[in-house]
Amino acid sequence: MEYFEPKTISEAVSLLAKYGESAKIVAGGTDVIVDIKFKEEPPCLVNIKRIPALNYIQQNNGSLRIGPLTTIREIETNRLVREKFPVLWGASHQFASLQIRNTATIGGNICRASPSGELLAPLLVLEAKAIISLPEGEKKVGFDEFFLAPGKTVLGFKGLLEEIEIPFPPEESRGLYLKHAVRGAMDIAIVGVAVHLVPDSARKLIKDVRIGLGAVAPTPIRAKKAEAALRGKPLDQGLVQAAGREAAAESKPITDQRASAEYRRWIVEALTRRGVSEAWKAATGREVK
Amino acid sequence: MSLEISLTVNGKQHRASIDPSSSLLDFLRDTLGYKGVKICCNTGECGACTILFNGKPVNSCVVLAADAADAQIVTVEGLAEGDKLHPVQQAFIDTGAVQCGYCTPGFIMSVKALLDRSKNPTPEEIEEAVSGNICRCTGYAKIVEAIEIAAQRMAERS
Amino acid sequence: MAKAEYTVLGTSIPRMGGVERVTGAGIFGIDLAFPDALCGGILRSQYAHAKIVSIDTSEAKAIAGVRAVVTAADAPDVRYGRTYIDRYMLAKHKARYMGDPVAAVAADSQAIVKQALKKIKVVYESLPVVLDPEETMKPSAPTLHDDMPLPANLPKDANVKNVCSYTGVHVGDPEKAMAEADVVVDEVYETKMIHPQYLEPRIAAARLEVDGRLTVWANAQAPFSVRTDVARLLNLPLNKVRVLTTEIGGGFGGKASGITSGAAIEPICALLAMKTKRAVMIVLDKAEETISTTIRSGARMYIKTGVKKDGTIVARQGKVVFDAGAYSGFGAMAGARCTQMLGGWYLMPNVHIDGYVVYTNKQVCGPVRGPGGPQAAFAVESHMDSIAAKLNMDPVEFRLKNTPKAGDKIIGVAKLRDVSLGETIRTAAEKIGWGKIKLEKNQGIGVATGSWIEGSGPGGGAIVKVNEDGSVTVHIGKVDFGTAPRFGIPMIVAEELGIPVEDVTVTNVDTDASPWDAGTVGSRSMLVSGNATRLAAIDARNQLLRMAARQLEASPDDLEIKDRQIRVKGTPAKALALAAVATAAHNEIGEVIGRGYFDSRAMAEEEKERGSSQPFTTHACIVEVDTNTGNVKILKYVAVHDVGFVIHPKAVEGQIEGATAMSIGQALCERVLFDEKGKTLNPTFVDYLMPTLNMIPKIETVLIKGYPGAGPYGTKGAGEIGCVPPPAAIANAIYNAVGVRIRQLPLSPENVLRAIREKKKSTL
Repeated sequence: MEYFEPKTISEAVSLLAKYGESAKIVAGGTDVIVDIKFKEEPPCLVNIKRIPALNYIQQNNGSLRIGPLTTIREIETNRLVREKFPVLWGASHQFASLQIRNTATIGGNICRASPSGELLAPLLVLEAKAIISLPEGEKKVGFDEFFLAPGKTVLGFKGLLEEIEIPFPPEESRGLYLKHAVRGAMDIAIVGVAVHLVPDSARKLIKDVRIGLGAVAPTPIRAKKAEAALRGKPLDQGLVQAAGREAAAESKPITDQRASAEYRRWIVEALTRRGVSEAWKAATGREVK
Repeated sequence: MSLEISLTVNGKQHRASIDPSSSLLDFLRDTLGYKGVKICCNTGECGACTILFNGKPVNSCVVLAADAADAQIVTVEGLAEGDKLHPVQQAFIDTGAVQCGYCTPGFIMSVKALLDRSKNPTPEEIEEAVSGNICRCTGYAKIVEAIEIAAQRMAERS
Repeated sequence: MAKAEYTVLGTSIPRMGGVERVTGAGIFGIDLAFPDALCGGILRSQYAHAKIVSIDTSEAKAIAGVRAVVTAADAPDVRYGRTYIDRYMLAKHKARYMGDPVAAVAADSQAIVKQALKKIKVVYESLPVVLDPEETMKPSAPTLHDDMPLPANLPKDANVKNVCSYTGVHVGDPEKAMAEADVVVDEVYETKMIHPQYLEPRIAAARLEVDGRLTVWANAQAPFSVRTDVARLLNLPLNKVRVLTTEIGGGFGGKASGITSGAAIEPICALLAMKTKRAVMIVLDKAEETISTTIRSGARMYIKTGVKKDGTIVARQGKVVFDAGAYSGFGAMAGARCTQMLGGWYLMPNVHIDGYVVYTNKQVCGPVRGPGGPQAAFAVESHMDSIAAKLNMDPVEFRLKNTPKAGDKIIGVAKLRDVSLGETIRTAAEKIGWGKIKLEKNQGIGVATGSWIEGSGPGGGAIVKVNEDGSVTVHIGKVDFGTAPRFGIPMIVAEELGIPVEDVTVTNVDTDASPWDAGTVGSRSMLVSGNATRLAAIDARNQLLRMAARQLEASPDDLEIKDRQIRVKGTPAKALALAAVATAAHNEIGEVIGRGYFDSRAMAEEEKERGSSQPFTTHACIVEVDTNTGNVKILKYVAVHDVGFVIHPKAVEGQIEGATAMSIGQALCERVLFDEKGKTLNPTFVDYLMPTLNMIPKIETVLIKGYPGAGPYGTKGAGEIGCVPPPAAIANAIYNAVGVRIRQLPLSPENVLRAIREKKKSTL
């Protein structure tokens, strides 16, 4: 196995251009090392952790900018994230175990593109964007276009994720991430539901709502029909139930060793109801009627 | 191909060759001889291999050995001062939290990291600190006691 | 604080071997290192059921660094097994589950081993796979073992196949009694396969010595059984095989190969060592362990009970279909235990239960912590609540109504000398707040009782050697992994010899030097080694006192050992240093060696006459069910046990808490999952889920005074019984919470939610 520790982004991109499919990028390593041990050593391993200045959480121009090598724990313990981006905070807080959070990176979680990747549905509902470096130059891609299939993203074999850009949501917005799993620690999500809700100025209607679903489709998805059913309306129990049903219908789960597709749909429904109700309560101070 | 790295383990400087595909766990155990870092699942799912990496608890089985270059590593072997056990180690013995002892080093490192961050940990903080460590022998009851007692004793000392 | 009449017994001394463990010393099997050992690896079957047509090892052998490649053809044509001799160390003619070892390699490095395993060409002819034991019992099922007979004691009308053991329980006239019952409840319960998942990987190392003897290292619970199997399978006399145990990182019955012959890697390792004439070490990885080593079997249990209106049980009929796996292993014992226990431990005047242990193409049953117990108790104790519900009777009252008294008999125990069951029920009920505690919506409370038959079985010995400085070295045949050998055993020696506990060392097992023992299994460490050690220590004490008596011109009865001195009671000035007396032995008897053994036969006789005292238990818990997701959270858990005399309270509590947690795992999240081809779908910890700390509340362990058991000073075994009640306690609490009776384990969120939704549908 060839091994490289590029010191700059362009060095890394050149390596990818040269080795293409044979190259595997490693960030934290929590996924890649397991692959190496239990599946196969890649012909070429590119360790990007020596590239300086890829680990940061900053704000500028109305956006939060996160470097791809920022660890999940760094995101979890960041006050700005906790206060302004609770849906991202919630996902990082429920991510694997503390030991893993200290090693795994947001870039790694994104580029792994696992259908159940913890941070992915939150990035969708936050309408975050990926800044990526390709041989032909830099590009900004919304995360709604970033994921193509399990393990496949627009990066292909030659792209490198450079930065995650998350626009600051309006002050009055609230959000949360609900993870369904068996134990409540160290789990892979059976279902993940990310909800982001913006009330109107009178806090009587849902001005905007975004519902992201993880682990129930080949990629993370937005439950757009459920969102449409809620947008512009005052929330009541009937709508909560309807949103749950819609979201469940929009999900495309499979049956695997963790859960059946049928069960996953029940959970999408339950967690969407819960997520929407709780986000509404957080945003308006009121329970759903 | 091989790579040479320098790192500090338990305050001691090391310089050694590594295979870039190897994990920090394999390197610490097999190359440097730190048997206190235990192998179990090898997938980051049990915490038996927990060590402190620049002060943070990590599963060494899913950290690249190469990434330990210039790092400060602490394993359980680095806690006692001569014959004097670290309060966390002593607490585990005193409460009966050691049965087979295989998960013990990993737990002790997670607990040490916890008490380094938080002198008076809440039940939630304790849960967060060790929910990534599996014990198959104790049912966790006496481990929780050990953590509480260690925290108490360390607070009294300082 | 020590019990009033004892010096050290009853205190929780610091664990011997604790310091090494908290400082991470390399004491476990996995830490063994030999300067020039080869690495070994095992090729396992690609099919759950297949004829092995041919194996071509030539390409593998040609790889540089490969030192040996072996198959069944390289080993003597000998099989092993506990009840049925049905297994080769490397599969011959047929592979019967996907973990079945088919070939093995020894090479210079693990990487080369991996390469070589890939190059071994096995031609299989696949056969139909059977995974459900009830399907496999049918006459139409494929035959898994062509040359294994059906059990001789099968009922005459049984038209079955693939059954390797049968147990029948018959008392009174259950058909008549059932017909006369006021209320009958008829149910089916099922548990799934779980794996003991000890944390330390299983290893074996072997080396052919210059004198032609074979040394085997193993992190094994039953070293003498390992010696037996290695010798048998390699056609060696026992005096040419030496087994050394390392410290063990958890076993739970899963590292008791030799007792089960189910997945022993030591004989394979030994064969490689003999072929290569080098030391060889095999280390299993986690995925390999789950698919190949011994497990706790699943069982399907049909249970039907007839009761009178007032709650008196009058009859029980039942059938147990117990999954042995690919080989008979420990299946017969576990299945028999499960069948007996299906008769419960209540007054049961009329019983008929048929228990079948059936081959399937899956991992082999091992003596995993309380084998057969949690399965049976899940059925029995859930069923008790179902009956109580039908009678509209309080489940605690219903149990108390049917609790036996001293002198009564229950299934499996001819005569009860005393009964603590009622007291454990009442204590658990009180501690959990039964009938008092106010519960919120979707919260529920449940109890479940249990018992475990220690019974007589193979015994074991102990040797207590008094060194010339007065310190003591103890040899027993049991190994320590958090059990009696490093807790209670040294305390017994210290107590009987009147010396400080620090002066006692209990060695690890070396089959050349340690006395024979069945191994650290079956909750028998205290019973067997404890009793043996006590007698050995008394023997040593008597020898010391005899020698000292002459010098002190006193009678041995007037002497005591205290503060490392032997002195005349009441006249402390008349004393000799213990070390001096021990040294003096050199010129008389050579050395003070105390010998003791556990007399299994005597215990059986005694129990026949006076009856036996059972280690009864009741567990109780409060749960909260999330009716939207099916998640079950345990809010409070109480475990009440009669373990007789308690030598080391923390050690006993630790065993109970650990066993309870293991069965909470079986109840809520553990099972080995298969596809239809017999492939294990969750071999690693990613998807084989064990309980994490956040899932288990602080288990409150209550050790009641109870009654003395057959162990030394009246102890009872405590290693396994904690496993017995939890699944039923939780299932009963779920029923109390949401009115849903789930009869299959695990009570995973999906299974619970499914059951809740079905109930909602059916009540619409």
